[in-house]
Amino acid sequence: MTIDEIVLHSRSLLDMKPSQVIKKTQETYPNVRGFAVFPVYAPHEIIHAAGLMPVGLYGAGDQLEITHADSRFQSFICSIAKSTLELFLADEMDGFVGIAFSSICDVARNLASVVSRNTEGIYVEYLHLPQNMASEQSQTYTRSEYERFRRKLAEHVGRPITDAAISESLKLYNEQRRLIRAIYAYRQDHPGSISAAELTCITKAGTRMMPGDYLTILKDVMEQLPQRPAHARDTVRVVVEGAFCEQPPIELIEAIEAAGCEIRDDDMMLGWRLFTGDVSEQGDPLTALANAYLNESVYCSTRHDYYHPRTEGLLARVRDSGAKAVLFTPAKFCEPALLDYVLFKRCLDDKGVPHLKLEFEEKMWTFEAPRTEVETFAESMLFD
Amino acid sequence: MTFVAGVDLGSGRTKTVIIDENEQILGMGMARTEADFDIVSSKSIGSACESAGISDDQIEYIATTGLGRYSLDRRDIQITELTCGGRGAHALFPDAHFVVDMGAQCTRAISLRDGGKVKSFRTNEKCAAGSGGFLERISRYLEVSIEEVGKLSLEANDAQPISSVCAVLAESEIINHVSEGKTVPDILRGAHDSLAGRALSQLKLVGFDSPVVFIGGVAMQEGMVDACRELFPYPVYVPEHPLHVVAYGAAILGLRRHEKRTQETAVA
Repeated sequence: MTIDEIVLHSRSLLDMKPSQVIKKTQETYPNVRGFAVFPVYAPHEIIHAAGLMPVGLYGAGDQLEITHADSRFQSFICSIAKSTLELFLADEMDGFVGIAFSSICDVARNLASVVSRNTEGIYVEYLHLPQNMASEQSQTYTRSEYERFRRKLAEHVGRPITDAAISESLKLYNEQRRLIRAIYAYRQDHPGSISAAELTCITKAGTRMMPGDYLTILKDVMEQLPQRPAHARDTVRVVVEGAFCEQPPIELIEAIEAAGCEIRDDDMMLGWRLFTGDVSEQGDPLTALANAYLNESVYCSTRHDYYHPRTEGLLARVRDSGAKAVLFTPAKFCEPALLDYVLFKRCLDDKGVPHLKLEFEEKMWTFEAPRTEVETFAESMLFD
Repeated sequence: MTFVAGVDLGSGRTKTVIIDENEQILGMGMARTEADFDIVSSKSIGSACESAGISDDQIEYIATTGLGRYSLDRRDIQITELTCGGRGAHALFPDAHFVVDMGAQCTRAISLRDGGKVKSFRTNEKCAAGSGGFLERISRYLEVSIEEVGKLSLEANDAQPISSVCAVLAESEIINHVSEGKTVPDILRGAHDSLAGRALSQLKLVGFDSPVVFIGGVAMQEGMVDACRELFPYPVYVPEHPLHVVAYGAAILGLRRHEKRTQETAVA
């Protein structure tokens, strides 16, 4: 497929409900069953090693009206929590064995329980990922949590999940993450070669297909990028920050780019490209995964790392990407992102880095207002 | 020599201005806006190149503005019409701190800081009643060409008030005037007075307290200019080519960006 065809294909996958994704995949892999991963992160490798297809569950976007979930959640809860619950209540999760949540915020914690109480026949896992990255016990603890996940998942699917299978999956996902990093790097060196909206479509759709097929797609993209006509416009280079869990509508990303910003780096789809390098393929795979989570992860508002403050991470992302400004794009009511915004704002103000906050929700359908805001922001930087 | 183009892809016309490194206008072009912005802008840029005596590929930088500013693939930058209108008007009348830009679909009142940067603005984007599109509808109804409207309006002896704030309802008022036997010039002057009144309201909201530059396609109508001059409490300046001022502003801003980028590339 050409890159344009890949983007179109990705968009079509993003327009599907999770049950449709599995149905579509079963046309090629008849026996496949899905396992949903609520953002930000869960060890996909263990799920894949269980013979399941890990699927990123990022709510229902504009595919589903909220008719049941409002009776379980208040109006001040983020969109992704409600539409995720709606997917379960509206029987749109056929073909899924289970779902994994992790400790990212109070809403996700409660969502796991609400889903568990309101659905039958689906395995709901809550991963207690460590909040303390610096303790000597963190690695032992994280590994034991992964081990518990492996044991319970194996019981559920009725077959063992071997170290060898996890190691194989680890290699697959290492290659996937390596290619995504390479595409991001290429795009920074060749502005205009692939837009952030296109790339986000591809990375998001990657969580809705078999990882082997996704590798082929990523290789195609990487191979074709040098031949793709690129017209580098005169823009403000920005980092997009705050969309690590609920994902902004693709149209919002397009609006940001149309308004004169070049997105150099971002934290979208963060859980699927969390590690800065390859996870070690030597030795015990669960220990390697635990080490990667503790020591090789990019900073994120859902992780506290005493030795690597998130403000430093953001400044490094700005510096390394050559960005001149930051766009905060938190989802409405996203507590981790909005709490960190206070720290980020102070830090960027101190360093003289211009920034703009743009909140979004998954069902927003008009983008004129944010586009005008971004355009005004960009013009204030471009013209004295 | 440097050639920079400003292209204003408006809802009625697509205007192009080509300038050199001294911000001197070398050529201007225009095309009626159609569905395909690429074709329209090619026509507009082509006619500007012809008047400037250069070929299209000599243009080093293109800044787009207007409604269709995101639609031209080969653009280097897109800039809002507010910013461009302010800069274009300021370049022509440096002492003026207010601009009223009356286009086919939108009227904008802008206040400027020293240097031409936008300080505040008001627009009427939700309704065509305060813009050139309204005059086009009236001219069609009265069976006069839009080019004649400006001069005919000057012949009015008894301007007929049009009080409605809605284009559709205003048309009803005009039908009433016609049925009462009022003359075309009197009705047209009433429409111009109505537009001038709306523009004044918008200008007041941005702190109107000194001369204003009147730009946009409607500023080409003599009767409209006369109505503004009569109503506004401060002088009204009208440039020689009011339709191209926004494109000119885009070209000036494009030139600045082009120079800055060239410097940055040289340093790198």
